[in-house]
Amino acid sequence: MDDNNFKDRFCIVGLGMTEVGHLPGCTPRMMEVEAGRLALADAGLQPEDIDAAIQGESDPGGGVRPRFDDAFPRMLGLPVKVYFTVGRGGEVATLALLAATQLLNLGIAKYVMIAGARNDWSRTQKIRQTGRRGQVFMEKEGVWGRPFGAVTAASFHGLLATRHMEEYGTTSRQLGAIAVAERQWACLNPQAYMYGKPMTIEDHQNSPIVVAPYHLLDICLQSDGATAFIVTTAERAKNLRKPPLHIMGIGFGEHMGKLWWEKKNYTNLAVEAAKKDAFRMAGIELKDIDVAELYDCFTAEVMLQLEDYGWCKKGEGGPFVEAGHIGPGGDVPVNTGGGLLSSHHLGNLTCVAEAIIQLRGEGGARQVKDAEIALATGHGGEIVSGQMCSIHSSLLLRR
Amino acid sequence: MTWNKPRPNIPEDMQDFWDNMKAHKFVLWHCKVCDAWYWPLACCRNHANEAYMGNMEWKEAKGRGKVFSFTAPHWAFHPGFKEEVPYIYAMIELEEGPLFSSNVIGCDLSEMKVGLPVEVIFEDVDNEFTLPKFRPLQES
Repeated sequence: MDDNNFKDRFCIVGLGMTEVGHLPGCTPRMMEVEAGRLALADAGLQPEDIDAAIQGESDPGGGVRPRFDDAFPRMLGLPVKVYFTVGRGGEVATLALLAATQLLNLGIAKYVMIAGARNDWSRTQKIRQTGRRGQVFMEKEGVWGRPFGAVTAASFHGLLATRHMEEYGTTSRQLGAIAVAERQWACLNPQAYMYGKPMTIEDHQNSPIVVAPYHLLDICLQSDGATAFIVTTAERAKNLRKPPLHIMGIGFGEHMGKLWWEKKNYTNLAVEAAKKDAFRMAGIELKDIDVAELYDCFTAEVMLQLEDYGWCKKGEGGPFVEAGHIGPGGDVPVNTGGGLLSSHHLGNLTCVAEAIIQLRGEGGARQVKDAEIALATGHGGEIVSGQMCSIHSSLLLRR
Repeated sequence: MTWNKPRPNIPEDMQDFWDNMKAHKFVLWHCKVCDAWYWPLACCRNHANEAYMGNMEWKEAKGRGKVFSFTAPHWAFHPGFKEEVPYIYAMIELEEGPLFSSNVIGCDLSEMKVGLPVEVIFEDVDNEFTLPKFRPLQES
């Protein structure tokens, strides 16, 4: 497929988001159904219009069989021809959109629903009842570091922060500036978990060290919730309830190919290839981006992406974020809903949903003026001996 | 003392590695054809490989390297680590080249730094496994 065959041919026409945060007693499938119902209403479509569905799931299968005992399209009554699950850690949305556009391209489907849910907050509460502390992640079998006490994502992701600090003199205070900027955005977003809870850099520095070098406020939230999108062709998108958002480009990068000998993937993410393909398809440059929704499981991931995409030079992310570029009023608005750090964590469904809200002009107090083009990214993968085989995704949308 | 921490995952294709740890031999994945070293399992990237990595073997390595990066959990997410926090989890850049992750013990967190020379020591747990850990290199 040459570039012009992809750009602007497919559109996101529906967005459905449940409440996010704490939804005790609500299963992931029930949340997906609710997000799907809201997406249909948002697009002005009926269940019978949807002829394909994709589930975005961090841990597809989780073994040799799908781990859910039901599927949201059945529960919603969608007469789909095809349904399947995609995802790799935090990267779910752009892989699902890639598949959706191909179903549309081949004429297999006319309207595709994507939905994904997490109940990480509720799962965490259950683990706490067993006398353990916090995160669900530690329950996972098969990760190399477990007997060594590397039982949470922070143990692995923190290696990136330490390395960046070592190579470029980055400080915890500079990482904290990212958390503070995202909290400022969250305080403008009534849907955000941290709405109404402002924080200062001193709050960040005074928050307990959970896994050095990370303080508590460098670490993303655990959330219950679901988000759904509906995707169709540009032609069909013209007559729906909401203005269509065009997919301009999609790209992916992968770190596993150079894991064992390059040793450079501790101060960057796999942005290079992802950026190159997405921006080539879209025919735009970095300066054309009005809002950037960057996957932010931890603060350093944001800093690495600011450098890897080229908003600042490698190693200069610290001074860049301290200068106030990424918060409200800055020239590079990043994670305008509060991100995974301060709004909610549904993998990169969080990032794509906020991009949609901004491009539609539905951002309320946090709306970035005249936002026309958004970048949304994703990240996730396997952890091998402390090293991450990680995907990076770039999604470019325009209104 | 009973082991109250998570046990390692030992897939069948890693059994030989863990058997070597029990024998206090620090082995890495090594190419018989071109002498390249890897960790963990990988095809040799320098040339074509035999079926099921037949050109590769577990071979004893020096067990020395330098700290490449590290984190230090201060919260015991698993109760087995309650008495040890804060402890150090590090990526070690081994002299043979590969990166290997484990605990660095016998080193105060305030003295921990990237570049610190370290060497392997073995922690015998039970009949099933021995953990390879690292400590600051002892001058001999």
